[in-house]
Amino acid sequence: MEIFRLEATSRTPEVELNPEQGTLTMIGESYPEDIRTYYEPITVALEQFAATQPSDLKITIKLTYFNSGSARALMELLDAIDEAAQDKFNAELNWYCDPDDDITQEFVEDIAADLSAVKLQILDLDPNDLV
Amino acid sequence: MDRNEFDRFYEFSDWVAKDKFVLSYSGYVSEDILYAVGQTLRQRLAGHMDNPAKIKNVFSIFVELMQNLIRYADEGPQPEDEEGEKPSFGIVMISDNGNGGMDMMAGNYVSPEEAASLSQRVNEISDLDADELRSLYKTKLRQPTEVQSKGGSIGLIEIARRASTPPTCATYDAEDGLKFFMIKVTV
Repeated sequence: MEIFRLEATSRTPEVELNPEQGTLTMIGESYPEDIRTYYEPITVALEQFAATQPSDLKITIKLTYFNSGSARALMELLDAIDEAAQDKFNAELNWYCDPDDDITQEFVEDIAADLSAVKLQILDLDPNDLV
Repeated sequence: MDRNEFDRFYEFSDWVAKDKFVLSYSGYVSEDILYAVGQTLRQRLAGHMDNPAKIKNVFSIFVELMQNLIRYADEGPQPEDEEGEKPSFGIVMISDNGNGGMDMMAGNYVSPEEAASLSQRVNEISDLDADELRSLYKTKLRQPTEVQSKGGSIGLIEIARRASTPPTCATYDAEDGLKFFMIKVTV
């Protein structure tokens, strides 16, 4: 499987799934015009990745802003990873959150409570360090 | 243009062109408009607020308000397009409330049934405390989108969670049996 990559746009994050390294990163902002069209290819790429019988997946999320539609899409994406990872591969998620943004922090905590295979860690996002 | 039209236009600009009006937009709403006006809003907020958390809340609420308009504000006096569909039409206004915060308002034409349903939803959400809103948000996220009723429930909860006081709304009678629905949110 080749590297799956979406370049950042003004309304969507940079996304990279590197199957060799077993990494998925999402960096930027997410409020796409059409949520389904944007997130669907990421879900498909992750399904392909899971089918390669990987041993590890390290996910890094650094989103400075995402809208409520993206919140749902992110939840569904992580649910799908959580299901695929069950007894199959190790999945770790480092989610960098704006420490001033209580609503996003709570959303990520609520997501974490529903994940069983993915180990989620909430870290502080430095808005000046988005590279 | 006769004198009266200049008078009316001046009254209008006297209202909206003051500095305390951080931003106002009225007209057709689309994703392109959301993006363009949103970028302008971010620049304007940087000059009006020094609290990054509040700036983020204002921007987030703006996006949810605009997306609700784009999806649901397809009633009103605006003409139909070639396909017989009415483009979404609405108004948003963001003003400095003088207490270090922003008042945000959005309005659009709706059917009387939709007006009643929207008002009910805003009033229900206004009665909830922060923990109840958080738990409702999570419940709604887990519901399939098609189960949710019109009006963007998730968006409305997001708005209520990011507001500093409960959102309020009002409905006025408009022409052609329609209602003009308005929501006010303070950050």
